Amino acid sequence: MDSLKIPILVLFVGLLFSSCFKDVDFGQAEDITLEPDLEVDLLYYTLTETDFLDSESGNFTPVIRDTVRLEFLDDDYIQENLMYAALRFKHENDFPYDIKSNIRFLGENGRNQFNVAYTIPSAEDGNTSIVDTVRVLEGNEIVRLRRSIQIVLQLEVVGADKDLQGELDFLSKGLFRFEF
Amino acid sequence: MWKKALILFVFSTFLANAQNRPLLYNVDDLPQSLLQNPGARIDFTKHIGMPFLSQIHLSAGSTGVTAYDIFSDENNNVNQRVRDVMNSITNRDYFSVNQQIEVLSLGWKVGNKGYFSTGIYQELDVFAYFPKDPAILAFEGNADYIGRDFKFSDASFTGEILTVYHAGLNYKVDAKLTVGGRFKLYSGIFNVESTGNEGIFRTIETPGGPNFYRHEVSELNVRINTSGYASLKDEEGMTVDQAVSELLSRSFFGQNVGLGLDLGFNYRVTDQFSVNGSIQDLGLMFHQKDVENYNYYGSFQTSGLEPLFPELDDNEQAIPYWEIFEERLDRSLQDETTENAYTTWRPLKYNASFQFGTGKSILPCDYLLSKKPRFMNLFGMIISGANRPKGPTYGVTAYWDRKVTDNLRFRLAYAVDEYTLTKLGFMVSSRFKNFNIYLAANDIIGYTNLANANSASLQLGMQFIFKDL
Repeated sequence: MDSLKIPILVLFVGLLFSSCFKDVDFGQAEDITLEPDLEVDLLYYTLTETDFLDSESGNFTPVIRDTVRLEFLDDDYIQENLMYAALRFKHENDFPYDIKSNIRFLGENGRNQFNVAYTIPSAEDGNTSIVDTVRVLEGNEIVRLRRSIQIVLQLEVVGADKDLQGELDFLSKGLFRFEF
Repeated sequence: MWKKALILFVFSTFLANAQNRPLLYNVDDLPQSLLQNPGARIDFTKHIGMPFLSQIHLSAGSTGVTAYDIFSDENNNVNQRVRDVMNSITNRDYFSVNQQIEVLSLGWKVGNKGYFSTGIYQELDVFAYFPKDPAILAFEGNADYIGRDFKFSDASFTGEILTVYHAGLNYKVDAKLTVGGRFKLYSGIFNVESTGNEGIFRTIETPGGPNFYRHEVSELNVRINTSGYASLKDEEGMTVDQAVSELLSRSFFGQNVGLGLDLGFNYRVTDQFSVNGSIQDLGLMFHQKDVENYNYYGSFQTSGLEPLFPELDDNEQAIPYWEIFEERLDRSLQDETTENAYTTWRPLKYNASFQFGTGKSILPCDYLLSKKPRFMNLFGMIISGANRPKGPTYGVTAYWDRKVTDNLRFRLAYAVDEYTLTKLGFMVSSRFKNFNIYLAANDIIGYTNLANANSASLQLGMQFIFKDL
């Protein structure tokens, strides 16, 4: 039976060394991409009549604005991997006046990249007026968002005076699609 | 870079199984059975291993995915397959790699009842659970998972490279009972571990809230302990080859030490039937030198930034909302690097088996012979496992062990474990005078196409084994 030793060993070693990978294509590893879709809150605010009145004189200020820098827009993953963005802006107006909203995305040098402007109708008979807008940026347009670094929010109340009363809510978010 | 890591990770599935080696367990004419069970019955009086060649052990596996699952050449939709795998795999599925090389191995009979064995081996052990929640977040994002908790506890892994110096005694108490123990001194080369992590990330809808969502990181507590890594990291410009050389240079004089114990027994219930059991690596590693701990902790929630529309003159700067947000984030979620010593348990392995022998060998009629007849066919079953961070891994192996002659032996085994329900193993051991060579491979069906195998393992070695006439 000792004569079996070498054939068995050879057969066994041969089996192990003949093992292989079949029916697979590891070249596909190059095609694997991470494509996360991230839902991210952006800006929000709630304004009342006091926000449209000068805190010292009490005079009515029909136009107010603020600037918010979004430094993350300058990060590498935005600059290199952001492929699609859907920005959603929602206003809920309790004021009995139309309000013009202009949301401007500016570059570092203050140059306008794109903006979203609309008029929020006045509340009618106590019913809140809602404007819900989505701005999609994809393809060549995504560059506009990549170049942006700050948002300027401007609101203009139309036809009101210092006796205005009400509330304006603003919600915003972004759906950002990346490809890594 | 991550693609290379992924390929490496998947490629590692061509070798597999846990650390236990059921194909070498209870093989009474191989010294390696003493490493599995120091109380095993043995059938030799002296052994000397070929340095670095007396045992080469490789095993690796993945419980939830094979290379074929991702890289199948049926169609080109590899990203869909990655998503399918991520959805089917659980956070208790794991990847493991274990490798051992015996540097030195020798032993000899002590008196009439004892057998002393000693040696040195180097071991690499990597064990990582699939970090399902972090992986889904990275691959798919949170958009389709609003309201779902992403758990940081899914990130759980250990990895170590060490040299083990060991000495053991096998003692035959009487004709029925054999016991044994092995003392181990661990010399750590490299260690990384991150277990028991806590914390949740979630995005929840907030109807009536200030914004659409609230993003929360809740009670984050993630810790990664390392030893033997900080000095490598600090070497600027070190290439991979240099890092490997540095690690190898620590093989015999590692900086961190540990102590461990193996215990085992074998009991012959009858002439034909025996039971036995063992535990291996009941031990601790004390990591005190070249230690770095990376800590991430805290809680944070946000619904975005809230502009306040302040009354500003033309010369006044806008409120730095982003800087304020970042400061609040940094205060709430902190990362800290410390150099605190830590202790790790070695992965405890355990084996229990019974064995039944049939077909006694016929010995030459010589009154000088002291040997008892052996059983030429042995049938046995082994339950084996290892302790891991989220609980033990386990497997059951049934085998037929055939001693063809005094110099040729093989074992055919069938096992069920967490990798597969159809694991066939084969071991062959042969002697040419006193020179022994053995080869064992588990999951040999998988060897026919490694891409489809969840696991495979291989042990081979050569040594000089001396027996009484």
